[in-house]
Amino acid sequence: MNAPGLLSMNTAERAHHLAAAAARFPFLGRTTADELLALVRAEFSHAEALDDFVPYGGHFAKVLAVETILHVVSANTPAAGLQSLIRGLLLGAHNLCKTPSAGLPEIGEFRAALPAELTARVEIAGELPADWLARADALIVFGHDATIAHFRTLARPEQRFIAHGHRLSFGVVFDDPAHASAPLAARDASLFDQQGCLSPHVFYVAGDARGYAARLAEEMRAFQEREPRGKIALAEANAIRTRREDLAFRAAQGEPVTLWQSEASTAWTVVCDARPGFPRSPLNRFVFVKPLPTDFGAELREVRAHLSCAGFWPATLAHARTLAPLGVSRLCPLGQMQEPPWTWLQDGAPALAPLVRWVGTEGARE
Amino acid sequence: MNAVVAAYRELETRILAALREDLREAEFDALALAAHAFQKRWNTPYANFCAPRPTAMHWREIPAVPQSAFKTARLSVAPPGMISRTFRTSGTTGEGFGEHHFIDPRLYDAAMLAGWDWLDRRSAEAVILLTQESADAPHSSLAQMFSTLARERFGEFVFAVVNGGGVLDVERFRAAMKTCFSAKRPVALLGTALAFLHLSEQVGGECFDRLPGTLVLETGGYKGSGREVPKVELYRRIGGLFDLEPEDILNEYGMTELSSQFYTRGLGRPHEGPPWVRAVVIDPETGGETAVGETGVLRIFDLANLGSVLAVETQDLAVRRERGFELLGRAPAALPRGCSRAADERMRA
Repeated sequence: MNAPGLLSMNTAERAHHLAAAAARFPFLGRTTADELLALVRAEFSHAEALDDFVPYGGHFAKVLAVETILHVVSANTPAAGLQSLIRGLLLGAHNLCKTPSAGLPEIGEFRAALPAELTARVEIAGELPADWLARADALIVFGHDATIAHFRTLARPEQRFIAHGHRLSFGVVFDDPAHASAPLAARDASLFDQQGCLSPHVFYVAGDARGYAARLAEEMRAFQEREPRGKIALAEANAIRTRREDLAFRAAQGEPVTLWQSEASTAWTVVCDARPGFPRSPLNRFVFVKPLPTDFGAELREVRAHLSCAGFWPATLAHARTLAPLGVSRLCPLGQMQEPPWTWLQDGAPALAPLVRWVGTEGARE
Repeated sequence: MNAVVAAYRELETRILAALREDLREAEFDALALAAHAFQKRWNTPYANFCAPRPTAMHWREIPAVPQSAFKTARLSVAPPGMISRTFRTSGTTGEGFGEHHFIDPRLYDAAMLAGWDWLDRRSAEAVILLTQESADAPHSSLAQMFSTLARERFGEFVFAVVNGGGVLDVERFRAAMKTCFSAKRPVALLGTALAFLHLSEQVGGECFDRLPGTLVLETGGYKGSGREVPKVELYRRIGGLFDLEPEDILNEYGMTELSSQFYTRGLGRPHEGPPWVRAVVIDPETGGETAVGETGVLRIFDLANLGSVLAVETQDLAVRRERGFELLGRAPAALPRGCSRAADERMRA
């Protein structure tokens, strides 16, 4: 089956319907028609560029989206998959959504909330149908390196291929002697149970890192009381337990490690760890606090290729200039790490531009 | 005699006497608490670990070190100058290897042999080793275990078919099988799961003549090797090699960090250990013991681990059974490791 014919809706109408459906999913953050149109405007200079020719340099140009996009969505959080689908629909493309075999019900629920004309532009399958790869003009793949490598080998040379692999995020507290940002840091580390690529693994703190960690632990506890963590698999709980026990053993040997943790549960864990290197969290609300290193570049070198977002405090441009060269693609104030605007540059690139082709015309008049 | 060695020998004598089938719970508890007190006295990293924890009044309360602690610290009651043997974990995952130090292997060997006798597998009268011998792999606890078992229980009829470099010699294997058959000796075949997998791949569909009473003991899993053959399939392949039923195949569960072993036979049965070792299944969420039928992480209490730490928490998941535990294996989130892995790399070379 090929994509259905041209949509009767223009970009603004699609944005309106998409925003209405997205409102049912608070985890998507602020999603209004204006936000979505701002994304189109940011990438194509005109919000109407997908609908008609718009001025471009001294002449005119129009944006044509690819006809069909295959989204391969991962299981860790529904937000990334839904955002990808919303962008595909905003462009007016036909969308094939390969969800994890365990399912991702939010994708179907979102489709059901759309008007018929947009619903017809979304197909969903837990197992990849035989013809989907052939039908797709573009592949967007979320997942582990092995998943990405697998789909990369399946993609045809002319198919556009966009990969969103495993990413690591962190926070930086440059100047906060009163630890006022700790509730914001706890929020960033707790939302989505730390499953997303924007979830921080570690907070680097200038000054009293241990004091900050103690305060962060209080805030993690408070967040857990307000919004308990979701159920986790036994293997995930075991990963937390194993890590806690290993760190407790190291702490007992005098290594510069201190633990704060929930009692009789794995609900939250804060570790102040002064050893060098970027520690990877076992996730599910397990976060490290480290002293801000003098050579931040060396500290992050090993994970540089995988960095995504740095939340920072206070959020000044001077501090942003310090962080920008380290390998991250998004900087935001602490407390907002999980709520990227629709215009965020995921993995350091515009999201819509790789999915379109421009047509320019010179010398044409009405 | 040095004070630590004197204390060690006194406890060693008591534990050697306890390596028997009718060891009572109270006796196990008393020995475990005595060994624990000794380890807290002489094993400084372990004493540091225990310091903030309540004093154990029962063996179940003895603080268990995480398995990773054998990588982090030197967990021994004796200083380096008193150590005669050190076993190393395979360390093939890039995170370094763990070390288990022994003043001497007397208790280790005795516990292993007593465990074998407890298994009552006396039908075999010859042994073929599909692992390196301990002389070629002095830091391998598996090589020590199998070599000692071969020497002490099978005397003259021992055939090693893996060369010093760790490569399986199929011709030597064929010759050994033939010799055992001609001599009318049922054979015990000892090796890692990977070794049996390699053997089945290298001999194709060949089925070897064997006598009633022949048995296979496999161990080690496939951790980190990139290979993963379901146990049913492995047992089908082994069965095809020797015309054996799954009931004739034993699995040993042990690790470098311990001195005693757990065993199971065939498919779908729990592992059990001899009376001087206990396995407890811990709910990783709460840290408490699970109920029968529930899954958790294995914590082992091994009286024979006298020179290091007798309580070790593994990273392996298992279902608690009325007797013993059903092993599920390493949690996916944990780092892969395993002695079978180190051997596999050499066999492929």
